[in-house]
Amino acid sequence: MTPLAPPVELASVAAFVAQSLPFDLLSAQEMDVAVGALRVSYHPQGERFEAACEPPGLRIVRSGAVDLRASDNKLLDRLGEGESFHIGNLNAGEDSVVATVIEDALLYLLPDATYRELRAGNRDFDRYFSRQRSRRLRRAARYMPDANPLLAPLRDSMSTDLLCLPPHTPVQGVAIAMAKRRVSSAFITEGERLLGIVTDRDLRTRCLAAGLPASTAVREIMTPKPEGIAADDTLFSATLLMTQRGYHHLPILDGERLVGVITTSDLILARRNDPVYLVQHLSRQESVEGMVELLAGLPDQLQQWVQAGMRAEQVSRLLTAVSDAVTIRLIQLAEQELGPAPGAWAWLGFGSQARGEQLLGADQDNGIVIDDDVPAAERGWYEAVARRVCDGLAACGYKYCPGGIMATTEEWRQPLARWQDTVARWTRTPTPAAVMRVSIFFDLRAVYGDDSLCARLQQVMLERASSNTIFLAALAANALASSPPLGIFRRFVVDRDGEHRDSLDLKKRGVLPITEIVRLHALAHRVPAVNTSERLEALAAQRHLTIGDSRNLADALHCIQQQRISHQCGEMAAGEPVDNFLNPRRLPRLAREQLRDAFTIIDEAQTAVRQTYRAGMG
Amino acid sequence: MGPGLRLKRLRYRGQLPHGPLADCWAAALPRPGTDWRAVEFLVCDGEMSSLEAADGELLSLGWLPVRKGAAVLDGAEHRVLRPSGGVGQSAVVHQLRDVDLVGGEAPATVLEAFLAAARGRVLVFHNARLDLAYLDRLCQGCFGVPLLLPVVDTLRLEQRLLARRDRAPKAGDLTLGGCRARYGLPAYAAHNALADALATAELLLAHAASRGAGLKLKDLL
Repeated sequence: MTPLAPPVELASVAAFVAQSLPFDLLSAQEMDVAVGALRVSYHPQGERFEAACEPPGLRIVRSGAVDLRASDNKLLDRLGEGESFHIGNLNAGEDSVVATVIEDALLYLLPDATYRELRAGNRDFDRYFSRQRSRRLRRAARYMPDANPLLAPLRDSMSTDLLCLPPHTPVQGVAIAMAKRRVSSAFITEGERLLGIVTDRDLRTRCLAAGLPASTAVREIMTPKPEGIAADDTLFSATLLMTQRGYHHLPILDGERLVGVITTSDLILARRNDPVYLVQHLSRQESVEGMVELLAGLPDQLQQWVQAGMRAEQVSRLLTAVSDAVTIRLIQLAEQELGPAPGAWAWLGFGSQARGEQLLGADQDNGIVIDDDVPAAERGWYEAVARRVCDGLAACGYKYCPGGIMATTEEWRQPLARWQDTVARWTRTPTPAAVMRVSIFFDLRAVYGDDSLCARLQQVMLERASSNTIFLAALAANALASSPPLGIFRRFVVDRDGEHRDSLDLKKRGVLPITEIVRLHALAHRVPAVNTSERLEALAAQRHLTIGDSRNLADALHCIQQQRISHQCGEMAAGEPVDNFLNPRRLPRLAREQLRDAFTIIDEAQTAVRQTYRAGMG
Repeated sequence: MGPGLRLKRLRYRGQLPHGPLADCWAAALPRPGTDWRAVEFLVCDGEMSSLEAADGELLSLGWLPVRKGAAVLDGAEHRVLRPSGGVGQSAVVHQLRDVDLVGGEAPATVLEAFLAAARGRVLVFHNARLDLAYLDRLCQGCFGVPLLLPVVDTLRLEQRLLARRDRAPKAGDLTLGGCRARYGLPAYAAHNALADALATAELLLAHAASRGAGLKLKDLL
């Protein structure tokens, strides 16, 4: 190879190569080496490249298109401008891969010697061709266009002019100070530490209505230790929190130090086309019909959020908040009709709803846990509630669970002690059916009712699961059942059978393997979190996963979810039904590369699972 | 190589001084029956200050070899010639200004490098007539004889191809860009002698591929 730089007049070649992955990772000198070594050749349609094809090296498609096919003629990948293949490396294993020009192609050949030299000299460049592709993926997952005002930090819109009073202030003094400052809330502080909050409504209901004297210390009627939010959090998170909990004032905290407040009126500015208010409106509906009508606007709103640059994780949290709101309102309506519950209980959401990872088109997965003190004779109330809620959910577009995992069935509506027995049975004898149920059931969250029932159930689950290696091995087998579609050399293999011939099931091949792997680790290490990102963070914090592995999985999940969402938006825009089947060939190049990277990470995580939980089991 | 070239060389043989051109002539001429892939080519392009060799000057020359049917970038060169006069009108066309040419080399030096690269190779131009007029004049000035090397002209190849298809070429059909477009080759934004030489090389490869297997050198001459 020539040590000299190629003439600058070849800048257009260099520019093209530089924007082809992974040449963007090369230094200027390395780029010179690469460009100086290139050979340009032209290949008419139909020409084939086989393993022994001379000269060996990496071929970059400058123009035209090339198909890669396995020996059984199965299409492995279709390469276009800027994509590359190394036919020798593709055939390094037992498989035989043939590249066929399907559209007259101009190829840049990077001869093998230079290709190897560049790989040896540049770790990042090398990594692209080996298994580690996480870097680029992380960059893509972390990228966030700042478009939506809801994503702005609270720091920019909070009020810092706060009325702070000591805890012994008489309520009349508080009312006078609030009237003078024309504010609807006051903070009760000791130094900079926030002790409580008092609002107009508290003065009315807890003081005047309760007949307390005007001299009462405000400490007596304040809401102590109010929930707060960090100044770096987004307007979106604040709005969501306030809407879910019915707060009108949200203190902004730096540790225990009060730094500002955000009120519902502050949020009005961001309210235009605001998705979050859907949740609030849902909670005011008096009939299922009203809710159905409100939800009709959801697909349009979803498209707006996505266009505005909202990230997959936030979109799915929001969609989960919507289904939570629907569920809660349906339960409240049922309670109005049936009267109060005969005893403590909780409505459980499973699967993606529990994890806060729902997208459009989610099925119902729910159950009920009843306090053990409720006599069997009175349990009919719960069945009646379940029927109303599940029917209502179906009317609102949440399909009945095809596997029957719903509170309407006796199996999924039990007293706590029976639930605990059931869990013990499942973990003791992990039949395939039990493992399937566990994989749904172990992601659970109390959507309504007594959280502690849910927590106690979860406690038993974690104890049973973490100590039972046979059960963990069975779960691991489940997590390994669906392999990512990487094929022999980690490129897309398109499903050949079934309804969606040219497409890839992003949910089954991408999302489920990740959630299953992460759940397995979480159960094994008694991590109570349910949301996949939170589980990953906890696993990394407790050093059960490396920070790198934890982030890689989180990034891979977000990347796949992002693709699912934009795919679903495209279908909605075209007036088609929403599904999870994506044709990878229609994706832009970068998106394809990112998905490939994501699937590579799943593959690596599955390998780790195989070694950790199924060692010696094949 | 055709007898025409040998006969013409014979006429000048006595006048040819020792040196780069003589070395170039001394190399064996490739046989016309050779498969085109076995022939080495040197694809060239020049930028001139006028379309008439009589009143213009060669400003820059770019070239790169084609070996085993592929353009080889590590043999690519771009040389700027020091002009005797100003750049003139061509500055508008080629964006070369006098100031860019200050660092240019003596035309004889560039010619020498060019002839060294051309040794044993078949020259390729798009519209050879113009470039050859300048190169011949340069050779005459240095050695007293014209260049007289085997030449492939992609413009004439494309012209013949269109004629065989009974297509009268329209304006722009035979320009480098027009020819490349017919093969789906990407558009080139750069306009310099070497970029155009590479563009011509790609056109040659596409043209040869379109004529199918068994293409001989003589089919390109």
